[in-house]
Amino acid sequence: MFDEPYRWIDAIHQRRDYIAEQLDRATPVIGISVSEGILLVSYHRQNPKIYELYDRIALAGIGHPADLETVRGILLNMAHVEGFQRSVSDVSIERLALFGLAPRLKAAYEDISAPPIILDVLLSEVGRTPSEDRFIKVSFDGNLERSVGTMVLAPTEEVDLKVAGLLKERIPREERTLRKVVSALPGVFVETLFTREERGLDDSGNLISPEKLSECERILREDRQWEGVFLDRQAPSRIKKLNETGDFLL
Amino acid sequence: MGGGTLRIDQEGGPYPPNTGYFPDLLKRIPVQGAPSRERAPLPGASHGTTILAFHFQNGVLVAGDRRATASNRIMSNRVDKVLEIDDSALLAISGSPAMALEMARVLDHSLKYYRRSQLTEISLEGKVRILAQLLKENLPMAVEGIGAVVPLFVARDPDSRIVRIYFYDILGAHFEGVEFSVGGSGSPEVQGILRYLDRWSPHPLREMSREEAIVLALRLLETASYFDSATGGIDSQDPIWPVMKILTAETLETVDEPTLSTIYRNEVMRVR
Repeated sequence: MFDEPYRWIDAIHQRRDYIAEQLDRATPVIGISVSEGILLVSYHRQNPKIYELYDRIALAGIGHPADLETVRGILLNMAHVEGFQRSVSDVSIERLALFGLAPRLKAAYEDISAPPIILDVLLSEVGRTPSEDRFIKVSFDGNLERSVGTMVLAPTEEVDLKVAGLLKERIPREERTLRKVVSALPGVFVETLFTREERGLDDSGNLISPEKLSECERILREDRQWEGVFLDRQAPSRIKKLNETGDFLL
Repeated sequence: MGGGTLRIDQEGGPYPPNTGYFPDLLKRIPVQGAPSRERAPLPGASHGTTILAFHFQNGVLVAGDRRATASNRIMSNRVDKVLEIDDSALLAISGSPAMALEMARVLDHSLKYYRRSQLTEISLEGKVRILAQLLKENLPMAVEGIGAVVPLFVARDPDSRIVRIYFYDILGAHFEGVEFSVGGSGSPEVQGILRYLDRWSPHPLREMSREEAIVLALRLLETASYFDSATGGIDSQDPIWPVMKILTAETLETVDEPTLSTIYRNEVMRVR
Protein backbone atom coordinates (compact mmCIF):
# COMPACT_ATOMS: atom_id res chain seq x y z
CA MET A 1 0.00 0.00 0.00
CA PHE A 2 2.85 2.40 0.84
CA ASP A 3 5.28 1.15 -1.77
CA GLU A 4 4.83 4.14 -4.00
CA PRO A 5 6.68 7.32 -2.86
CA TYR A 6 3.60 9.48 -3.21
CA ARG A 7 1.55 7.22 -0.96
CA TRP A 8 4.34 7.19 1.65
CA ILE A 9 4.61 11.00 1.64
CA ASP A 10 0.86 11.29 1.85
CA ALA A 11 0.78 8.89 4.78
CA ILE A 12 3.55 10.82 6.57
CA HIS A 13 1.64 14.07 6.11
CA GLN A 14 -1.47 12.49 7.53
CA ARG A 15 0.56 11.12 10.41
CA ARG A 16 2.01 14.58 11.18
CA ASP A 17 -1.47 16.11 11.13
CA TYR A 18 -2.83 13.37 13.37
CA ILE A 19 -0.04 13.75 15.94
CA ALA A 20 -0.30 17.56 15.88
CA GLU A 21 -4.02 17.28 16.45
CA GLN A 22 -3.48 14.95 19.41
CA LEU A 23 -0.93 17.30 20.95
CA ASP A 24 -2.98 20.39 20.31
CA ARG A 25 -4.67 20.64 23.71
CA ALA A 26 -1.57 19.96 25.79
CA THR A 27 -0.63 22.43 28.50
CA PRO A 28 2.90 23.72 27.88
CA VAL A 29 5.89 22.95 30.07
CA ILE A 30 8.16 25.90 30.84
CA GLY A 31 11.85 25.31 31.51
CA ILE A 32 13.74 28.30 32.84
CA SER A 33 17.23 28.86 34.26
CA VAL A 34 17.32 30.78 37.52
CA SER A 35 20.31 31.71 39.62
CA GLU A 36 19.76 28.70 41.92
CA GLY A 37 19.17 26.10 39.21
CA ILE A 38 16.58 25.11 36.62
CA LEU A 39 12.86 25.37 37.21
CA LEU A 40 10.37 23.28 35.24
CA VAL A 41 6.70 24.10 35.60
CA SER A 42 3.46 22.94 34.05
CA TYR A 43 -0.14 22.10 34.95
CA HIS A 44 -1.62 18.68 34.35
CA ARG A 45 -5.07 17.18 34.51
CA GLN A 46 -4.34 13.51 35.15
CA ASN A 47 -0.75 12.47 34.65
CA PRO A 48 2.47 14.24 35.67
CA LYS A 49 4.68 15.49 32.86
CA ILE A 50 7.97 16.29 34.58
CA TYR A 51 10.30 13.63 35.96
CA GLU A 52 13.73 13.19 37.47
CA LEU A 53 15.93 11.36 34.98
CA TYR A 54 19.43 11.37 36.39
CA ASP A 55 21.77 13.53 38.48
CA ARG A 56 21.41 17.09 37.07
CA ILE A 57 18.88 15.98 34.46
CA ALA A 58 15.10 16.15 34.24
CA LEU A 59 12.68 15.03 31.57
CA ALA A 60 9.37 16.60 30.60
CA GLY A 61 6.95 15.46 27.94
CA ILE A 62 3.61 16.44 26.44
CA GLY A 63 1.54 13.89 24.61
CA HIS A 64 0.34 10.41 25.38
CA PRO A 65 1.22 9.31 28.93
CA ALA A 66 2.05 5.76 27.81
CA ASP A 67 4.50 7.05 25.22
CA LEU A 68 6.07 9.35 27.80
CA GLU A 69 6.45 6.39 30.14
CA THR A 70 8.16 4.33 27.40
CA VAL A 71 10.58 7.12 26.57
CA ARG A 72 11.23 7.76 30.25
CA GLY A 73 12.16 4.10 30.69
CA ILE A 74 14.53 4.12 27.72
CA LEU A 75 16.33 7.24 28.87
CA LEU A 76 16.44 6.13 32.52
CA ASN A 77 18.12 2.88 31.53
CA MET A 78 20.52 4.58 29.16
CA ALA A 79 21.51 7.28 31.67
CA HIS A 80 22.04 4.88 34.56
CA VAL A 81 24.05 2.36 32.57
CA GLU A 82 26.17 5.16 31.11
CA GLY A 83 26.67 6.75 34.53
CA PHE A 84 27.59 3.43 36.13
CA GLN A 85 29.88 2.31 33.34
CA ARG A 86 31.70 5.65 33.08
CA SER A 87 30.92 8.51 35.41
CA VAL A 88 27.97 10.55 36.56
CA SER A 89 29.49 13.55 34.81
CA ASP A 90 29.60 11.68 31.48
CA VAL A 91 25.82 11.54 31.29
CA SER A 92 24.54 14.53 29.33
CA ILE A 93 21.28 15.47 27.67
CA GLU A 94 23.19 15.98 24.44
CA ARG A 95 24.14 12.29 24.37
CA LEU A 96 20.74 11.12 25.59
CA ALA A 97 18.91 13.17 22.98
CA LEU A 98 21.26 12.60 20.09
CA PHE A 99 21.99 8.90 20.53
CA GLY A 100 19.14 7.64 22.68
CA LEU A 101 16.00 9.46 21.78
CA ALA A 102 16.06 11.31 18.44
CA PRO A 103 16.88 8.28 16.23
CA ARG A 104 14.20 6.19 17.92
CA LEU A 105 11.54 8.88 17.61
CA LYS A 106 12.43 9.46 13.97
CA ALA A 107 12.30 5.74 13.20
CA ALA A 108 8.97 5.42 14.98
CA TYR A 109 7.58 8.46 13.17
CA GLU A 110 8.58 7.17 9.76
CA ASP A 111 7.35 3.65 10.33
CA ILE A 112 3.86 4.26 9.00
CA SER A 113 2.84 0.67 9.52
CA ALA A 114 2.99 1.10 13.29
CA PRO A 115 0.99 3.33 15.62
CA PRO A 116 2.64 6.73 16.05
CA ILE A 117 4.43 8.00 19.13
CA ILE A 118 2.49 11.02 20.31
CA LEU A 119 5.09 12.85 22.31
CA ASP A 120 7.32 15.91 22.40
CA VAL A 121 10.12 15.84 24.95
CA LEU A 122 12.08 18.49 26.82
CA LEU A 123 15.39 17.51 28.44
CA SER A 124 17.00 19.87 30.96
CA GLU A 125 20.48 19.73 32.44
CA VAL A 126 21.61 21.99 35.24
CA GLY A 127 25.19 23.26 35.14
CA ARG A 128 27.47 24.98 37.62
CA THR A 129 26.30 28.41 36.45
CA PRO A 130 23.17 29.54 34.59
CA SER A 131 25.20 29.94 31.40
CA GLU A 132 26.04 26.22 31.58
CA ASP A 133 22.39 25.15 31.88
CA ARG A 134 21.14 23.33 28.81
CA PHE A 135 17.76 22.55 27.28
CA ILE A 136 17.05 20.25 24.36
CA LYS A 137 13.66 19.69 22.82
CA VAL A 138 13.09 16.50 20.84
CA SER A 139 9.92 16.53 18.79
CA PHE A 140 7.85 13.50 17.81
CA ASP A 141 9.64 13.28 14.43
CA GLY A 142 13.09 13.23 16.03
CA ASN A 143 13.98 16.85 15.38
CA LEU A 144 16.24 18.52 17.93
CA GLU A 145 16.18 22.08 19.15
CA ARG A 146 18.66 23.46 21.69
CA SER A 147 18.42 26.43 24.00
CA VAL A 148 20.08 28.19 26.93
CA GLY A 149 18.14 30.29 29.45
CA THR A 150 14.61 29.15 28.71
CA MET A 151 12.76 26.61 26.65
CA VAL A 152 9.07 26.04 26.22
CA LEU A 153 7.59 22.68 25.37
CA ALA A 154 4.38 23.75 23.69
CA PRO A 155 1.88 21.96 21.46
CA THR A 156 2.12 24.55 18.68
CA GLU A 157 4.61 27.11 17.46
CA GLU A 158 2.08 29.83 18.21
CA VAL A 159 1.88 28.88 21.90
CA ASP A 160 5.64 28.45 22.03
CA LEU A 161 6.23 32.00 20.76
CA LYS A 162 3.54 33.44 23.00
CA VAL A 163 4.98 31.87 26.18
CA ALA A 164 8.54 32.77 25.21
CA GLY A 165 7.46 36.39 24.66
CA LEU A 166 5.66 36.53 28.00
CA LEU A 167 8.66 35.13 29.84
CA LYS A 168 10.93 37.70 28.25
CA GLU A 169 8.54 40.50 29.09
CA ARG A 170 7.52 39.47 32.61
CA ILE A 171 10.76 38.02 33.96
CA PRO A 172 13.88 39.85 32.71
CA ARG A 173 16.90 37.59 32.60
CA GLU A 174 18.81 39.47 35.32
CA GLU A 175 15.88 39.07 37.76
CA ARG A 176 15.51 35.35 37.41
CA THR A 177 15.61 34.01 40.96
CA LEU A 178 13.57 31.01 42.00
CA ARG A 179 11.03 32.94 44.08
CA LYS A 180 10.46 35.64 41.49
CA VAL A 181 10.02 33.20 38.63
CA VAL A 182 7.67 30.92 40.56
CA SER A 183 5.46 33.84 41.53
CA ALA A 184 5.28 35.05 37.92
CA LEU A 185 4.56 31.73 36.23
CA PRO A 186 0.88 31.18 37.16
CA GLY A 187 0.12 34.51 35.45
CA VAL A 188 1.99 33.37 32.35
CA PHE A 189 -0.09 30.19 32.22
CA VAL A 190 -3.38 32.08 32.65
CA GLU A 191 -2.42 34.38 29.83
CA THR A 192 -1.40 31.45 27.64
CA LEU A 193 -4.36 29.18 28.25
CA PHE A 194 -7.20 31.72 28.19
CA THR A 195 -8.17 34.20 25.53
CA ARG A 196 -8.12 37.95 26.07
CA GLU A 197 -11.90 37.97 26.30
CA GLU A 198 -12.00 35.13 28.81
CA ARG A 199 -9.55 37.07 30.98
CA GLY A 200 -11.77 40.16 30.94
CA LEU A 201 -9.50 42.38 28.84
CA ASP A 202 -10.56 44.86 26.21
CA ASP A 203 -8.99 45.09 22.75
CA SER A 204 -6.24 47.36 24.06
CA GLY A 205 -5.33 44.89 26.80
CA ASN A 206 -6.92 46.86 29.66
CA LEU A 207 -8.52 44.84 32.43
CA ILE A 208 -12.20 45.70 32.39
CA SER A 209 -13.56 42.68 34.23
CA PRO A 210 -11.36 41.57 37.16
CA GLU A 211 -13.92 38.91 38.12
CA LYS A 212 -13.34 37.19 34.76
CA LEU A 213 -9.61 37.09 35.42
CA SER A 214 -10.23 35.64 38.88
CA GLU A 215 -12.48 33.04 37.31
CA CYS A 216 -9.69 32.03 34.89
CA GLU A 217 -7.27 31.69 37.81
CA ARG A 218 -9.81 29.60 39.69
CA ILE A 219 -10.40 27.32 36.70
CA LEU A 220 -6.66 26.82 36.26
CA ARG A 221 -6.23 25.89 39.93
CA GLU A 222 -9.25 23.61 40.11
CA ASP A 223 -9.17 21.90 36.70
CA ARG A 224 -5.46 21.26 36.61
CA GLN A 225 -2.75 20.48 39.07
CA TRP A 226 0.39 22.59 39.43
CA GLU A 227 3.60 20.72 38.74
CA GLY A 228 6.86 22.38 39.77
CA VAL A 229 10.22 20.64 39.66
CA PHE A 230 13.52 22.23 40.58
CA LEU A 231 17.03 21.07 39.64
CA ASP A 232 19.20 22.55 42.36
CA ARG A 233 22.62 23.71 41.23
CA GLN A 234 24.04 23.03 44.71
CA ALA A 235 22.48 19.58 45.19
CA PRO A 236 21.86 18.20 41.71
CA SER A 237 21.54 14.50 42.50
CA ARG A 238 17.86 14.74 43.42
CA ILE A 239 15.05 16.87 42.04
CA LYS A 240 12.99 18.97 44.40
CA LYS A 241 9.28 19.51 43.99
CA LEU A 242 7.81 22.84 44.87
CA ASN A 243 4.37 24.37 45.18
CA GLU A 244 2.96 27.49 43.56
CA THR A 245 4.37 29.71 46.28
CA GLY A 246 7.88 28.35 45.79
CA ASP A 247 7.99 26.24 48.97
CA PHE A 248 9.68 22.89 48.62
CA LEU A 249 7.55 19.80 49.14
CA LEU A 250 8.88 16.77 51.00
CA MET B 1 5.02 -3.60 14.75
CA GLY B 2 7.69 -2.49 12.31
CA GLY B 3 11.40 -2.52 12.94
CA GLY B 4 11.56 1.18 13.65
CA THR B 5 9.02 1.34 16.45
CA LEU B 6 9.90 2.64 19.85
CA ARG B 7 11.17 -0.31 21.82
CA ILE B 8 14.32 -1.34 23.54
CA ASP B 9 14.03 -5.11 23.74
CA GLN B 10 17.05 -5.62 21.48
CA GLU B 11 19.41 -4.06 23.98
CA GLY B 12 17.68 -3.17 27.15
CA GLY B 13 15.36 -6.06 27.94
CA PRO B 14 11.64 -5.75 28.36
CA TYR B 15 10.17 -2.44 29.39
CA PRO B 16 8.79 -1.17 31.73
CA PRO B 17 11.38 -1.96 34.40
CA ASN B 18 9.01 -3.81 36.65
CA THR B 19 11.46 -4.26 39.50
CA GLY B 20 13.49 -1.07 39.54
CA TYR B 21 16.38 -3.33 40.61
CA PHE B 22 19.49 -1.87 39.01
CA PRO B 23 21.62 -5.08 39.08
CA ASP B 24 18.93 -6.70 36.89
CA LEU B 25 19.48 -3.96 34.33
CA LEU B 26 23.23 -4.50 34.48
CA LYS B 27 22.76 -8.21 33.85
CA ARG B 28 20.65 -7.50 30.75
CA ILE B 29 23.15 -5.01 29.35
CA PRO B 30 26.79 -6.19 29.53
CA VAL B 31 28.62 -3.52 31.47
CA GLN B 32 32.25 -3.27 32.48
CA GLY B 33 32.49 -3.46 36.24
CA ALA B 34 29.07 -4.98 36.76
CA PRO B 35 28.77 -7.66 39.43
CA SER B 36 29.59 -11.01 37.89
CA ARG B 37 30.10 -14.54 39.07
CA GLU B 38 32.83 -15.06 36.49
CA ARG B 39 35.30 -12.48 37.67
CA ALA B 40 38.92 -13.66 37.59
CA PRO B 41 40.94 -13.73 40.80
CA LEU B 42 42.95 -10.58 41.45
CA PRO B 43 46.46 -11.40 42.66
CA GLY B 44 47.67 -8.96 45.28
CA ALA B 45 44.21 -7.60 46.03
CA SER B 46 44.27 -5.23 48.97
CA HIS B 47 42.60 -5.74 52.35
CA GLY B 48 42.58 -4.45 55.89
CA THR B 49 40.50 -1.99 57.83
CA THR B 50 38.86 -0.95 61.01
CA ILE B 51 35.34 0.36 60.69
CA LEU B 52 32.92 0.99 63.51
CA ALA B 53 29.46 2.39 64.15
CA PHE B 54 27.72 3.07 67.44
CA HIS B 55 24.66 4.85 68.73
CA PHE B 56 25.04 7.97 70.84
CA GLN B 57 22.68 10.70 72.04
CA ASN B 58 22.05 12.33 68.64
CA GLY B 59 22.18 9.35 66.31
CA VAL B 60 24.85 7.01 64.98
CA LEU B 61 28.53 7.77 64.49
CA VAL B 62 30.29 5.83 61.74
CA ALA B 63 34.08 5.91 61.39
CA GLY B 64 36.83 4.16 59.48
CA ASP B 65 40.59 4.36 59.19
CA ARG B 66 42.19 5.22 55.83
CA ARG B 67 44.63 2.36 55.19
CA ALA B 68 44.48 -0.31 52.49
CA THR B 69 47.05 -3.12 52.50
CA ALA B 70 48.02 -6.01 50.27
CA SER B 71 49.73 -8.66 52.32
CA ASN B 72 52.33 -6.72 54.31
CA ARG B 73 52.45 -3.79 51.89
CA ILE B 74 50.63 -0.54 52.53
CA MET B 75 48.81 0.21 49.27
CA SER B 76 47.25 3.50 50.35
CA ASN B 77 46.70 5.61 53.44
CA ARG B 78 43.97 7.74 51.92
CA VAL B 79 41.10 5.37 51.28
CA ASP B 80 37.61 6.59 52.19
CA LYS B 81 35.88 3.66 53.80
CA VAL B 82 32.77 5.44 55.02
CA LEU B 83 30.68 6.27 51.98
CA GLU B 84 27.50 8.28 51.66
CA ILE B 85 25.04 6.25 49.62
CA ASP B 86 22.38 8.94 49.84
CA ASP B 87 21.31 11.50 52.41
CA SER B 88 19.93 8.82 54.69
CA ALA B 89 22.36 5.91 54.31
CA LEU B 90 26.04 5.23 54.94
CA LEU B 91 28.12 2.26 53.92
CA ALA B 92 31.32 1.47 55.82
CA ILE B 93 33.47 -1.03 53.97
CA SER B 94 36.01 -3.57 55.15
CA GLY B 95 37.74 -6.31 53.22
CA SER B 96 38.67 -6.03 49.57
CA PRO B 97 38.37 -2.36 48.56
CA ALA B 98 37.98 -3.25 44.88
CA MET B 99 34.86 -5.30 45.52
CA ALA B 100 33.59 -3.08 48.33
CA LEU B 101 33.84 0.13 46.32
CA GLU B 102 32.15 -1.59 43.41
CA MET B 103 29.33 -2.70 45.68
CA ALA B 104 28.98 0.84 46.96
CA ARG B 105 28.69 2.09 43.38
CA VAL B 106 26.07 -0.52 42.52
CA LEU B 107 24.16 0.25 45.69
CA ASP B 108 24.29 4.00 45.03
CA HIS B 109 23.00 3.54 41.49
CA SER B 110 20.43 0.97 42.61
CA LEU B 111 18.79 3.32 45.07
CA LYS B 112 18.70 6.19 42.61
CA TYR B 113 17.47 3.95 39.80
CA TYR B 114 14.72 2.57 42.00
CA ARG B 115 13.59 6.03 43.07
CA ARG B 116 13.59 7.38 39.54
CA SER B 117 12.02 4.38 37.82
CA GLN B 118 9.44 3.48 40.44
CA LEU B 119 8.76 7.09 41.47
CA THR B 120 9.00 6.23 45.15
CA GLU B 121 11.75 5.74 47.72
CA ILE B 122 12.80 2.18 48.42
CA SER B 123 12.16 0.99 51.96
CA LEU B 124 14.95 0.57 54.49
CA GLU B 125 14.46 -3.21 54.34
CA GLY B 126 14.77 -2.96 50.54
CA LYS B 127 18.10 -1.16 50.83
CA VAL B 128 19.37 -3.74 53.31
CA ARG B 129 18.30 -6.56 50.98
CA ILE B 130 20.02 -5.09 47.90
CA LEU B 131 23.33 -5.08 49.76
CA ALA B 132 22.68 -8.64 50.95
CA GLN B 133 22.12 -9.71 47.35
CA LEU B 134 25.36 -8.07 46.22
CA LEU B 135 27.28 -9.86 48.96
CA LYS B 136 25.70 -13.16 48.00
CA GLU B 137 26.73 -12.63 44.38
CA ASN B 138 30.27 -11.93 45.56
CA LEU B 139 30.52 -15.22 47.44
CA PRO B 140 32.80 -17.00 44.91
CA MET B 141 35.37 -14.21 45.31
CA ALA B 142 34.99 -14.31 49.06
CA VAL B 143 35.56 -18.06 49.38
CA GLU B 144 38.63 -17.80 47.17
CA GLY B 145 40.00 -15.56 49.87
CA ILE B 146 40.70 -12.52 47.76
CA GLY B 147 37.45 -10.62 47.44
CA ALA B 148 35.65 -10.83 50.75
CA VAL B 149 33.69 -7.77 51.77
CA VAL B 150 32.15 -7.30 55.21
CA PRO B 151 30.34 -3.98 55.33
CA LEU B 152 28.39 -2.04 57.90
CA PHE B 153 25.25 -0.37 56.64
CA VAL B 154 23.79 2.51 58.62
CA ALA B 155 20.53 4.00 57.47
CA ARG B 156 17.61 6.10 58.61
CA ASP B 157 14.19 4.48 58.48
CA PRO B 158 12.09 6.92 56.39
CA ASP B 159 8.95 6.20 58.40
CA SER B 160 10.13 6.13 62.00
CA ARG B 161 13.22 8.36 61.41
CA ILE B 162 15.16 5.90 63.59
CA VAL B 163 18.77 5.31 62.51
CA ARG B 164 19.73 1.65 62.45
CA ILE B 165 23.04 -0.19 62.16
CA TYR B 166 23.25 -3.42 60.14
CA PHE B 167 26.18 -5.79 59.83
CA TYR B 168 26.59 -8.61 57.33
CA ASP B 169 28.46 -11.85 56.88
CA ILE B 170 30.11 -12.72 53.56
CA LEU B 171 27.04 -14.69 52.41
CA GLY B 172 24.80 -11.68 52.79
CA ALA B 173 23.08 -12.54 56.06
CA HIS B 174 22.32 -9.31 57.84
CA PHE B 175 21.68 -8.47 61.45
CA GLU B 176 20.96 -5.30 63.33
CA GLY B 177 23.73 -4.06 65.60
CA VAL B 178 21.52 -2.74 68.33
CA GLU B 179 24.12 -0.59 70.12
CA PHE B 180 27.22 -0.90 67.95
CA SER B 181 28.87 -2.90 65.17
CA VAL B 182 32.44 -3.20 63.98
CA GLY B 183 34.27 -4.67 61.01
CA GLY B 184 37.73 -5.30 59.61
CA SER B 185 40.96 -6.80 60.87
CA GLY B 186 41.33 -4.26 63.67
CA SER B 187 37.83 -4.76 64.97
CA PRO B 188 38.30 -7.33 67.80
CA GLU B 189 39.87 -4.81 70.18
CA VAL B 190 37.32 -2.17 69.26
CA GLN B 191 34.45 -4.58 69.74
CA GLY B 192 35.69 -5.52 73.20
CA ILE B 193 36.05 -1.91 74.27
CA LEU B 194 32.60 -0.95 72.99
CA ARG B 195 31.01 -3.90 74.75
CA TYR B 196 32.81 -3.06 77.99
CA LEU B 197 31.86 0.62 77.86
CA ASP B 198 28.25 -0.03 76.98
CA ARG B 199 27.87 -2.59 79.75
CA TRP B 200 29.93 -1.23 82.62
CA SER B 201 30.78 2.44 82.12
CA PRO B 202 28.70 4.92 84.19
CA HIS B 203 26.70 5.79 81.07
CA PRO B 204 25.81 3.52 78.15
CA LEU B 205 26.92 4.48 74.64
CA ARG B 206 23.51 5.93 73.80
CA GLU B 207 23.91 8.62 76.46
CA MET B 208 27.18 10.01 75.08
CA SER B 209 27.28 13.55 73.73
CA ARG B 210 28.49 14.32 70.21
CA GLU B 211 31.93 15.33 71.41
CA GLU B 212 32.26 12.28 73.67
CA ALA B 213 31.31 10.09 70.72
CA ILE B 214 33.98 11.66 68.48
CA VAL B 215 36.60 11.28 71.23
CA LEU B 216 35.66 7.64 71.67
CA ALA B 217 35.79 6.92 67.92
CA LEU B 218 39.25 8.48 67.60
CA ARG B 219 40.52 6.53 70.60
CA LEU B 220 39.06 3.29 69.25
CA LEU B 221 40.73 3.74 65.86
CA GLU B 222 44.01 4.64 67.59
CA THR B 223 43.74 1.45 69.66
CA ALA B 224 42.98 -0.64 66.59
CA SER B 225 46.01 0.77 64.75
CA TYR B 226 48.19 -0.02 67.78
CA PHE B 227 47.40 -3.73 67.51
CA ASP B 228 46.59 -4.15 63.83
CA SER B 229 49.15 -3.26 61.18
CA ALA B 230 46.45 -3.14 58.51
CA THR B 231 44.69 -0.28 60.29
CA GLY B 232 46.11 3.17 59.63
CA GLY B 233 46.96 5.32 62.61
CA ILE B 234 47.44 9.07 62.65
CA ASP B 235 50.91 10.41 61.95
CA SER B 236 51.11 13.66 63.91
CA GLN B 237 53.62 15.07 61.39
CA ASP B 238 51.49 14.40 58.34
CA PRO B 239 48.01 13.76 59.66
CA ILE B 240 45.55 11.80 57.57
CA TRP B 241 42.36 11.90 59.54
CA PRO B 242 39.89 9.06 59.72
CA VAL B 243 36.60 9.52 57.93
CA MET B 244 33.89 10.13 60.48
CA LYS B 245 30.22 10.73 59.71
CA ILE B 246 27.19 11.22 61.90
CA LEU B 247 23.70 10.20 60.80
CA THR B 248 20.83 11.53 62.89
CA ALA B 249 17.06 11.50 62.51
CA GLU B 250 17.32 14.70 60.46
CA THR B 251 20.85 15.19 59.16
CA LEU B 252 23.94 13.56 57.74
CA GLU B 253 27.15 15.27 58.79
CA THR B 254 30.82 14.72 58.02
CA VAL B 255 32.96 15.62 61.03
CA ASP B 256 35.43 18.17 59.69
CA GLU B 257 39.20 17.92 59.98
CA PRO B 258 39.70 20.92 62.30
CA THR B 259 37.31 19.30 64.79
CA LEU B 260 39.08 15.96 64.51
CA SER B 261 42.45 17.68 64.82
CA THR B 262 41.51 19.60 67.97
CA ILE B 263 39.90 16.62 69.66
CA TYR B 264 42.75 14.34 68.67
CA ARG B 265 45.34 16.73 70.07
CA ASN B 266 43.48 17.30 73.34
CA GLU B 267 41.85 13.96 73.99
CA VAL B 268 43.86 11.29 72.17
CA MET B 269 47.44 12.54 72.22
CA ARG B 270 46.73 14.41 75.47
CA VAL B 271 49.07 17.27 74.50
CA ARG B 272 47.81 20.36 76.26
